[in-house]
Amino acid sequence: MDFWREIFMALSRNKLRTFLTGFAISWGIFILIVLLAAGNGIVNAVSEEFSDQSKNVYSLYGGETSIPFKGHGTNRNIWFNDKDIRFLETEAKHVDLVSPFIYTGGFAYYGDKSCNVTLNGVRPVYHSISNTDLLKGRLLNELDEKNSEKVTVIDEALQKHLFDEGTAPIGQFIIVNGIAYKVVGVYEGDPNSSGGSALVPFSTLKKITHQSDYWMLRFTTKGLETKEDNEAYTEYLRTQLAHLHEFDPDDRSAVYIRSNMEEYLQAMKIFNTLELFIWIIGFAMLASGIVGVSNIMRITVKERTNEIGIRKALGAKSRSILASIVTESMLITTIFGYLGMWLGMVVAEVAGNILKTVQESKTIQLNIVPTVDIRIVLMATVLLIVCGVLAGFFPARNAVRIKPIEAMNYR
Amino acid sequence: MIRLQNINKTYFGAQPLHVLKGINLHVEEGEMVSIMGASGSGKSTLLNILGILDNYDSGDYHLNGKLVKDLSENEAADVRNRTIGFIFQSFNLIPFKTAMENVALPLYYQNVSRKKRNQLAMDYLERFGLKEWADHYPNELSGGQKQRVSMARALVTQPKVILADEPTGALDSKTSAEVMQILREVHQTGITMVIVTHERGIALRTDKIIHLKDGVIENIETNDPGLIDFNTEIK
Repeated sequence: MDFWREIFMALSRNKLRTFLTGFAISWGIFILIVLLAAGNGIVNAVSEEFSDQSKNVYSLYGGETSIPFKGHGTNRNIWFNDKDIRFLETEAKHVDLVSPFIYTGGFAYYGDKSCNVTLNGVRPVYHSISNTDLLKGRLLNELDEKNSEKVTVIDEALQKHLFDEGTAPIGQFIIVNGIAYKVVGVYEGDPNSSGGSALVPFSTLKKITHQSDYWMLRFTTKGLETKEDNEAYTEYLRTQLAHLHEFDPDDRSAVYIRSNMEEYLQAMKIFNTLELFIWIIGFAMLASGIVGVSNIMRITVKERTNEIGIRKALGAKSRSILASIVTESMLITTIFGYLGMWLGMVVAEVAGNILKTVQESKTIQLNIVPTVDIRIVLMATVLLIVCGVLAGFFPARNAVRIKPIEAMNYR
Repeated sequence: MIRLQNINKTYFGAQPLHVLKGINLHVEEGEMVSIMGASGSGKSTLLNILGILDNYDSGDYHLNGKLVKDLSENEAADVRNRTIGFIFQSFNLIPFKTAMENVALPLYYQNVSRKKRNQLAMDYLERFGLKEWADHYPNELSGGQKQRVSMARALVTQPKVILADEPTGALDSKTSAEVMQILREVHQTGITMVIVTHERGIALRTDKIIHLKDGVIENIETNDPGLIDFNTEIK
């Protein structure tokens, strides 16, 4: 109790010193967090630009056999079915998200307008595999898939063809091949395509068109980081599919395996470089923060050498002086460190919100949203506090070690 | 009370400096002695050794019957705290503590309760006429007041020995005379006192004057107790 009273008295009576020390620490942590957030913002913006290539996407297309195998002749069509999906989902290595892909063509009607349309039946995960850019409404979800809902996410082209400028498409029903689908969302789509496209739940389209053979399967992989990995993986897939569909593993035309490996590897390279860049900046910031905090702690303790000498002359034991100095610095660094951390995060958050508003009004294209990882922030704060305390501890230990008369006469 | 036998002290700097060359000294309990000498004679070093603020190289130093040699940090702190009271030329008050807190500080290191040590500190301040100044910080006090605060601080633990290093060095002659008057009164209560000074007026107010020159005791002058001089101008 007495010990703490002494500590608080020393801190409150030396307001300027307490404030300056605290300010140095708050400032160090504040700047660190704000810059980390800015760095992350840039990374986020770049990630967004490259998001189409941020996943390793494989597409399997059915083909026609060209080599006789096990009694089967040539020119046999290979289609995919549920067995292949199960294989990808349960057995195949490196598979992350899987969506089959079926389609049907037709005309879409709304009121007195009509348009050429391709209906694509996909699972909800297809959105994250192919990065659907949602403009309005919502994407397809698991409930739609499970209940085979007649809902659709249409592309911008289809919206333009079917709906007037003033009509909101969400909630309207469009009719394709005699069936009404409720529009739940609009996505960006391919601006070069002549007709419209629409996404509907896989299960819905499967039931309507009675398809059990699928033209395409699309999935993402994880853990394939090099060109060699991907080439080996393609061979692996072909062998496995050859086994399932009884064709010659050397038959190149039975199935077609496409991947965006090249783009993916390139994007990964950019990401890795950026990440390294951010880490280097972060470490540099942290290092300069540590130097700043350590210096101020060192100077404060040096300044107190006379006081330490007086206390020793009056009979203070080294341990008790050390304990109070370390406790004081811990108190200051923790309180002000926390304050700096908090302020840094508030500023990052506010800046993020402002940038978001600006982006929504479409005045800038680059999507910079500063974010901070709370774990990294906490770790950096703790590290700065520990370094600050240590930086105070060593000169304090030296000061209590020298003879009291030297400490008293220290200038 | 204080017994020094062949004390030697050398400062090892760029050029080794043999400051004390075999000091033999005996100060009886209740004696009030002064140490005089030119600057560089080793008088401050001697006082620092007496106060265990500095160590010595060879010889024996007995304080209150106890050998003070190769003490650990903590033992030295304890001896300083309980046996010795210090008065410094530059007062050495802690600037961010009030007069009362400064006086109470040695008791804090004896784990005396806050209430009790503040009470004791107030008693001593009152004794030195500083009751109204108890809540003032050192920079709000005059030189004489500061020195009285530091005397109160030296006495609050009821030490056996008071060591004073040029206690009037920073004071004018009138205040110096007051301070000496107080020290003399304190001495009357039976406390042993060693005062380092270069002012003869101060030395003449003590029982014995030890003259130090180039690290050795040149001679010891005894003042007739009946004729202690309180009238000589100090400066």
